Amino acid sequence: MASKAITAPKNKAHELTFFEKLGNRFSNFRKRFEDGSLGTKLAHFIFGAGNFYHKQYVKGAIFLLLQIAILAVMIFCPSINDTPYGWKALANLPLKNLSEGGGFDPLTGHFTSGSDCKLMILFGFVTIALIIIYIMLWNMSIASSYKADMDKKIGKKPTSFKEDMAELLDGKFHVLMLTPTCIAATVFTILPTIFMIALAFTTYNSQDMNDLGTNLFRWNGLQNFAAVFTGEGSLGMEIKNRFLPVLGWTFIWAIFATLSCYFGGIILALLINKKGLNGKKVFRTVFIFTIAIPQFISLLAVRNLLGEYGPFNQFLKDLGWITESIGFLGLKTGDSESLAKVMVIIVNMWVGIPYTMLMTSGILMNIPADLYEAARVDGASTFKMFFKITLPYVIFITTPYLISSFIGNINSFNTIFLLTGGGPTYTGYQAGGTDLLVTWLYKVTIDQGSYNTGAVIGIFTFIITATITLITYRRSKAYNEEDTFQ
Amino acid sequence: MKKFLALMLVFVLAASMLTGCSGGGSSSGGKDDGVIRVWVGEESAEFYQKVCDEYIEAHPDFGYKIEVKGMDTGSVAGTITNDPTAAADIYTVAHDNIGKLASTQCAKPITDEALVNQVVADNPASFQKVIYSTLDGNQYLYGVPYISQALFMYYNKALVSEEEAKTFEGLQAAAARENTKAITVTGDDGFNMCFALLATSVVDHGTSVKIYEGAESVSGGSKGVSNCQGDDTVAIVRWLQEYAADPNGFKWASPDGWEADLDKDNKGVLAVIGGAWHYNTAKAALGESNLGITMIPTFTLTEAACEGLTGVSAGDVYRGGTFADCKCFMINANSAASKYAKEQELIAYMASKEIQNRSYLECLNVPAYVGAASYIEQCYKDGKVTESQFNLAAMQVSMAEWGIPQPFITGTLNTYYYSKNGPAIFRAMIDKTAYPTTGDQILTETESLESIRKGLYLIEYIWMHGVTPDSFPASLPEKA
Repeated sequence: MASKAITAPKNKAHELTFFEKLGNRFSNFRKRFEDGSLGTKLAHFIFGAGNFYHKQYVKGAIFLLLQIAILAVMIFCPSINDTPYGWKALANLPLKNLSEGGGFDPLTGHFTSGSDCKLMILFGFVTIALIIIYIMLWNMSIASSYKADMDKKIGKKPTSFKEDMAELLDGKFHVLMLTPTCIAATVFTILPTIFMIALAFTTYNSQDMNDLGTNLFRWNGLQNFAAVFTGEGSLGMEIKNRFLPVLGWTFIWAIFATLSCYFGGIILALLINKKGLNGKKVFRTVFIFTIAIPQFISLLAVRNLLGEYGPFNQFLKDLGWITESIGFLGLKTGDSESLAKVMVIIVNMWVGIPYTMLMTSGILMNIPADLYEAARVDGASTFKMFFKITLPYVIFITTPYLISSFIGNINSFNTIFLLTGGGPTYTGYQAGGTDLLVTWLYKVTIDQGSYNTGAVIGIFTFIITATITLITYRRSKAYNEEDTFQ
Repeated sequence: MKKFLALMLVFVLAASMLTGCSGGGSSSGGKDDGVIRVWVGEESAEFYQKVCDEYIEAHPDFGYKIEVKGMDTGSVAGTITNDPTAAADIYTVAHDNIGKLASTQCAKPITDEALVNQVVADNPASFQKVIYSTLDGNQYLYGVPYISQALFMYYNKALVSEEEAKTFEGLQAAAARENTKAITVTGDDGFNMCFALLATSVVDHGTSVKIYEGAESVSGGSKGVSNCQGDDTVAIVRWLQEYAADPNGFKWASPDGWEADLDKDNKGVLAVIGGAWHYNTAKAALGESNLGITMIPTFTLTEAACEGLTGVSAGDVYRGGTFADCKCFMINANSAASKYAKEQELIAYMASKEIQNRSYLECLNVPAYVGAASYIEQCYKDGKVTESQFNLAAMQVSMAEWGIPQPFITGTLNTYYYSKNGPAIFRAMIDKTAYPTTGDQILTETESLESIRKGLYLIEYIWMHGVTPDSFPASLPEKA
């Protein structure tokens, strides 16, 4: 008996696109202005005016205060570290008319600092975010007043602030709960991501800042992206000569590291779950030890084990098989790159297999026994049952894990950095033989100060991982045939 | 309503976060809270807190409390430039950070006449060249030296005699006897490379090498003059190539660390060139009784090294070079202007000869002032320090005579001496391995005179420009 998937019916109804939704929000502006009360008309200019008109004083006051606050920031341009917000921040965004600063009064010790381009860009984006918030508040203020108009028209009393708050704890409780997450995502993820992307279009690296002056850099369009092909960027020929080899190895590593741990884990789980095996719990516990020990300790221990003076090399020397230590992990210039690559994949199996083993054990125990029973009745062999029942079942359940594991391995900083440090190194280049995009990114930014090139590498890494995730996941059975495995 | 609340919270959170990043740092400096905070090396924090407490006791009208904190002086400059508003009012850095800290407006000039005079009177000319920087078109004193440091050599006394430790050839003979390598360095960066690049003739302490010479007094980021193409440098590279290729010669530090090489059980190497900050690690690797400390040895140029060169002759003797540095007190630009006078008064006290001497006795910090050697010797004669403690200081003072201060350039973040692959190319030359040169070109033949000249030209070009050139000049050396 083979597994058969039943495809769930798809909802073919037209779903509004993001832009359609956005358009709908603004398309009825005219209608609201014409049909709305005096308060609604006033709300187009003064936030909360409509709420005051409908005696929703608290709500109106909050809208008004926010309008005043945002306008005050935009007009008076408060500054931090001599870098302003508001309209001046927008004027600063082109990064023109920069000041090197340095005015100093020797008698008093008073001192003026120069422009800081990082803050200029950051505050520029914060100001743009404020403008977006201002527009949304504007729309909300009008909508709030218009809703009160409509409520009045049908004889309902406009909702009070207290009722709105109560609704937040009742019907809109999910909003209350999701708000902190949205705020955190905006402040700690979206804003830094936009800032990082922006750096890819600048000359922000220590070399150019030497020539321009500290904290000063400029926009340079797509030059950093072009440097991947021309080598005319802050990293010189490195970005051109090492990008493709590093990208290629990143893929090879991700494929081998993922598949070796995945199938290794399945095989181990099958062995441990084999009927009649005594001491299953003991075996499981032994392998779980590798998870219990922090990964970096395991990796550093292996690094020492295979090091120049490590026990493994010493053992081979004592046997008389070698006279010079073997550079298993490519820690020295001139060591074998291929050997180092094979070694990191093998060592990674040691730390990666137990995770899959643990997960697969659970899945194996949950495969319905009647599937095997029916297969046996039909005369299926053990081999056939494995390929027709066990493996499809496990793959179906673990596809999302497989994808996330692949992406995780593309960004597997710890394993490479702690084991080989990216080595063996090549003279003239930061990127060594086993460097992944992510470890190279670390060296490019932290060691070389080429933040703009680092941002380019980061963007490429994101594009690659996002593309692979979307394509593979959307094409997987786990996505298309959710809850349908039989 | 839900979006309204969410947006309001986003706004409040974003604003509070960005405000939190600000601290002080405006043109008027930070707040004056009645405390002067001082950062010194971790090993000296307790000592300087003690002497500062004594100062306050002796000067009740000083008007400020003093809080001293120990920091890793190797990385403190980065900490300060990342967030100068969070740094102490007075901090300690190696002098080569002065250009960076001054140009990033993390440091305030020192203008107190008495303190400036004290610095001029007490410090050697070599230090005085590297403690000034320019601001607003004027040259100012920025750093007040109080600790001196230079590289020297640790060696395994159990396996190497005192006489053998005087020359690279002696070390090589000892290594051949012990079937191991003679000497290593603690890293392959530009700082450690100076043992070869800055090697000087024992006859006149001379070298043709110049690194940003004349740049320290020039505003606007001029990089001065550099030279890495002299015949003596070519001969030294050839000599080191030969010495590194010898099974008992030079080796780069193991990836397990130079201490693993030096370890008395591993016997991976007999000696290591290092600084005072490696003392405890070297002692742990060899044990105090086996730990020898001496100057960086001399070496003699061979016939092969001098072949085809006119500026050097076989038999010329050179001593391994070093950067001779000083650690300095500096004032944070973000410190309140009202503290300015008292900060300078406090620095004058902490950098005085008397406190430097006490710092040597209690923390083994080698004094930076002229004539400190005689004080160090006297302390040993008086039995105030042990032999290895005396050697640690005496060898640094001796080596300082053979070295130059690390270069830096006013108005720039840092020089290219340490970065942009200069040190990596030097290592490849010594290892005789391939390295990229101009454009996509790879130099695979690394032994001929022409290829060595090309390599040295590249290094000099990188020092000056931060990148490799588009092509080589028609003939090398480019300059005499």
